[in-house]
Amino acid sequence: MTTHSAHLFSIATGSPEPIYRQLVDQVKRLVAAGQMAPGDGMPSVREVAQALALNPMTVSKAWSLLEMEGVLARRRGMGMEVAARTGAAQDTLQRAELLRPTLERAAMEARQLELDSDTVVSLFIQILKEQA
Amino acid sequence: MSTAIIQSAAISKQFGSAPILNALDWQVMPGQVIGLLGRNGAGKSTLLECLLGLREVDAGTVRILGEDVAQLSDATRARIGYVPQKSDLFEWMTPRQMLGYFKALYPRWNDAKVEGLLGRWGFDKLMQNKPISKLSGGEQQRLSIIRALAHDPELLVLDEPVSALDPVGRRDFLRELIDGVIERGTTVVFSTHILSDLERVALDLAFLKDGKIALQGRLDELLESARRVVGPAALLDGKPLAGELRRQRAPDGTVSVLTCGGVGLGLPAGAAGVRVDALSLEDLFIEVTQ
Repeated sequence: MTTHSAHLFSIATGSPEPIYRQLVDQVKRLVAAGQMAPGDGMPSVREVAQALALNPMTVSKAWSLLEMEGVLARRRGMGMEVAARTGAAQDTLQRAELLRPTLERAAMEARQLELDSDTVVSLFIQILKEQA
Repeated sequence: MSTAIIQSAAISKQFGSAPILNALDWQVMPGQVIGLLGRNGAGKSTLLECLLGLREVDAGTVRILGEDVAQLSDATRARIGYVPQKSDLFEWMTPRQMLGYFKALYPRWNDAKVEGLLGRWGFDKLMQNKPISKLSGGEQQRLSIIRALAHDPELLVLDEPVSALDPVGRRDFLRELIDGVIERGTTVVFSTHILSDLERVALDLAFLKDGKIALQGRLDELLESARRVVGPAALLDGKPLAGELRRQRAPDGTVSVLTCGGVGLGLPAGAAGVRVDALSLEDLFIEVTQ
């Protein structure tokens, strides 16, 4: 079990996505991909705020949301850690949910192109097969 | 509910016949970190100067830390730090002499902080003993920031504090602001055009336009709720949208509506050809202030 460095994270300014949201999504992706394992220690709010030059309240908001969603858990004493995983089925669902923003964008473009659902879905299936 | 640190009621200020502030009401609460945004010439500096009592208002009142700003006591003044846009520091003095001069004026003066900052921000012995007029614009600005932070103020007002700093200098300043100022619960009001810096440290935004605070809110919430709805006039004309802030019509008949906090936007059903965009802070700045 490791304690992760604050430098694992990065944010982009100038995005329509608020910074706390970027941090939340990043942690979820790292956890989903196994780069952060259950029990791993999270860097403190202060460390991340300093490393990324952010208001600590922004980092704290991200960590709290992740705790509420069960991705992180508060350690006895100080700090946060990656929460133990729940059932595998739920895990798949959670990971799929991470795709939502990308798919929502694709859906919007599909509507702008006035494509019907069947055409879009079969294209997506084709792309999935190509990559595999 | 705690009382406001800064409270302005219907302040107006006019230069010649040009009104700069127009019955402006504003509140800054303790612990807030607010970015003040507006176009060049919108009156940000004038507003900050009026709030600090450095400029008389034509009408209205300002209370700061519970006192009328027109009769600010020395004790209250010592709880405020201010970095002016143009640092008119005592140019004939050396940084050492200037800091010594101010140290004598303040009952509270954090020597360790001053020495730490001088060291970290590149003021070596030679530079500390050079007339301020011989320092570069960026060096003068850094010195002005050090002076404003030296007495651990409860309220820090910064007017374009990083305009003369390079990216490294700006990052150093942000880190100091985060570590030495925000973490202590200091209330911070600052104006800047560098939106990326603002996004990193400000939790609240206030837009100054036409002499009033045109829009104020939590930065996160503004980004999450602001939308630009673009579509043909035939669909959008005569249909006010939920949370609508402003509406524009391009010569080609395209209508663009800025909404904030609208639920479901109340778009006409099956509105094909209507595009809804999320906005970055830069987009929002342009939409709100132009």
